[in-house]
Amino acid sequence: MSSKDEILAAIRRNIKTTYDLPEIKPEGDGYTDKIKQFTEVSRSVAANVVVLQEGEDLNQCIRALYPEAATVASNLPEITIQTIDPDKVETPHQLNGTMLGIVKGEFGVAENGCVWIPQNVKEKAVYFISEYLVILLNKTNIVNNMHEAYEKLHTYDYGFGVFISGPSKTADIEQALVVGAHGAKGVTTILI
Amino acid sequence: MNLQQTQWHNATLWMVRKKRDNLAMQIPEWEELRRLASQIKMHTLSHLDRYLVQFTDNAEANGAIVHWAKDADEHNAIVLDILNRHKARKLVKSKSMLTEECHLNPFLEANGIEVVESDLGERILQLMHAAPSHIVMPAIHLKRQEVGKLFEDKLHTEKDNSDPTYLTRAARQHLRNEFLTADASMTGANFAVADTGEIVVCTNEGNADMGTSFAPLHIVSVGIEKMAPNHSALGVFTRLLARSATGQPSTTYTSHYRKPRQGCEMHIVLVDNGRSKTLGNEAHQQALKCIRCGACMNTCPVYRRKGGYAYSYFIPGPIGINLGMLKSPKKYANNVSACSLCYSCNQVCPVQVDLADQIYSWRQQLDSIGKANKIKKIISTGLTCLFTRPRLYNNILKLAPVINHIPRFLIYNRLNGWGKGREMPPFAKESFTQMWKKGKVKK
Repeated sequence: MSSKDEILAAIRRNIKTTYDLPEIKPEGDGYTDKIKQFTEVSRSVAANVVVLQEGEDLNQCIRALYPEAATVASNLPEITIQTIDPDKVETPHQLNGTMLGIVKGEFGVAENGCVWIPQNVKEKAVYFISEYLVILLNKTNIVNNMHEAYEKLHTYDYGFGVFISGPSKTADIEQALVVGAHGAKGVTTILI
Repeated sequence: MNLQQTQWHNATLWMVRKKRDNLAMQIPEWEELRRLASQIKMHTLSHLDRYLVQFTDNAEANGAIVHWAKDADEHNAIVLDILNRHKARKLVKSKSMLTEECHLNPFLEANGIEVVESDLGERILQLMHAAPSHIVMPAIHLKRQEVGKLFEDKLHTEKDNSDPTYLTRAARQHLRNEFLTADASMTGANFAVADTGEIVVCTNEGNADMGTSFAPLHIVSVGIEKMAPNHSALGVFTRLLARSATGQPSTTYTSHYRKPRQGCEMHIVLVDNGRSKTLGNEAHQQALKCIRCGACMNTCPVYRRKGGYAYSYFIPGPIGINLGMLKSPKKYANNVSACSLCYSCNQVCPVQVDLADQIYSWRQQLDSIGKANKIKKIISTGLTCLFTRPRLYNNILKLAPVINHIPRFLIYNRLNGWGKGREMPPFAKESFTQMWKKGKVKK
C-alpha cells in the first residue's frame, strides 16, 4: 500500500463520530461608512490611506508622496513615472533595488484593512521586494469583512493572490514593533 | 529565568493577551465565530479522508505535486529527494512548527543542504543553535541585548547597539541576500483549502512571500489536520487567527498559493505523523482543531512565568501539554503538572479546544500509565485515611498549631516543594468546627 492509501485507511478506521458542516452566516452589522472604517484600521496597522481628489493627477500624487523614489516598478498603463516594468523583467531578481512598487488592488476589507491582490504582474516579487508599495484601489470596492471578501474571491481566477494590510512588520525582538521586516517598509493605499 | 526575566516575560505575554481581548471585543459576533470555527473543524476532521482526496485532486489539477508522508522520517526523506532532484543546495524556510516536529533542519544539514530560517525570531534562534520557546513569538524569551551581541558576532553589527529597529534592518539586509540566492523555498501552511487545492500562509514579515518569489522551487509542509473545506470556512478562520495570536486585525500578508510560479515547481507534502491516530482518541481528538495561534500560551499563568523551555515537548503551553501527551504519554507526562486548571485557555481558544479538560483527563490517566507521582500517591492514600475518620481528623487538627513553633529547617527543606520561594500559612489556633461549637461563628 502507498503511504497515501495507508494514511487514508487509518483515518477511515479512526473516525468514529461524524459532524455536520454548520451554515456559515455569522450575524454582524455592516459598517455605515466602509471607507472611514477601512482608513482607520489601515492607519492603525501603519498603512497610509490617501483619497485621490477630483481632478488631481495620480502620477503627481504618487510623486509627492515618494519624491525620492528613483526606481519605480509598475505595469499599469495609467502610471507614467515607472522606470521598470515587472512584466518585462527576465528574472524576479532584476526587481531587487526597487524603491517603489505601484500595483492595483481589487477590493479592500473594511474590518481589517486588507486589500486583495490576485497576481496581476509577471513577477509577484514586486509586491514584496519594493521598499515602498502603493496600492491603487477603487473606493467603491470595499467589503465589510472576510466573509464578504471570500465570497468575492470566487470571481477571480488566480495562481497566486494575497491580502495585504499595511507594511511588513515584526515584533520578534522583545515585542518591540518594527515596521519594515522583509517586505515593504511603507504602504500607501490610494482610493480612487 | 531569573526573577527579573520572569516578571518581564509575564508582563509582556499579558500585554499580548490584552491586545487580543481588545481586538476580539470589537467583533460582537466573536463567540459565534469561535463556535462556528470549532464546528467547521470537527466536521472537516470527521470527513478528513474525503477532504484530503479532494484537496489532492484539485492541487494536482492546479499543477502542484502532492506527496504523502506517514511520519517524520518519510517527510524528511521526501523533502531531501525533491531538493536533490533539483540539485538545490540552499533552502530558505519560513516558519513551520511541523518541520520542527519532524526535526527537518538537522536532517537536511547532515545531508549537505544549507538551511536558512527567514522569520526574524527563527533566524535569531538558528544562529544561536536554540529552539523556539513560543509557536508564534519564537524568541520571546530573549532580551534585545542578547540579540545585539549575537548579531555583532554573526552579522557584524555595531558594538553594543541593541536597538530593535537597527537589528531588524540588519537582518533584513542579511536575509534579502539569502532570498535572492536560495535554490529552493519552503513554507508551512496555515490552511489547505480542499475545494480549490490552494495553500494559505499568514505572515507579518513577508518572509514566506520573499522566499517563494525568487527560488524556482517551493516546498510546502502541511499537517493533514490543516484542511479547510472551502473559502467560506477561511472567512471564519482569518477573522479569528491574527486577533487571537497577536491582537492584530489581520496578519500583514495572507497569501494564497494555488499554482506554481511560471516555470517553477510547487510540491506539497501532506504529513500524518500520529494525527490519524489522534482522530481515533475521542477524549483528545479536539487537539487536532488547533490553528496554532498561541493564545493559550499568552494567557496561561504557568507559561507566562516559566517560559517555553520549562516544558519538555517542543510545543509549550496548554496545547503543547496535550500534543506532547498524544505523542508519547510516558515521555511527556511531567508537563501535565504545568497547569493550575484555571481554564483561561479554554476561554481564549479561537476554535474552542477543550485544553484544560484534556489536561485534567490526562492527569486522571497518569496512574494507569505508571506515571503517577509516588509521593503524591502516598499523600493521597494518607489523606483518604484521614478524611474518612472524623475523630482522628479532629484530634490531629487540634495538634496542628504545634507546627507553627517547630524549627524552620524542619518545614522549609527540600522535601517540601511548597516552601520554596514562599511562606507557608500558619495553622489557626482553633479549627472552624471548634469555633462553630463554641458559638464563635457569626452569620
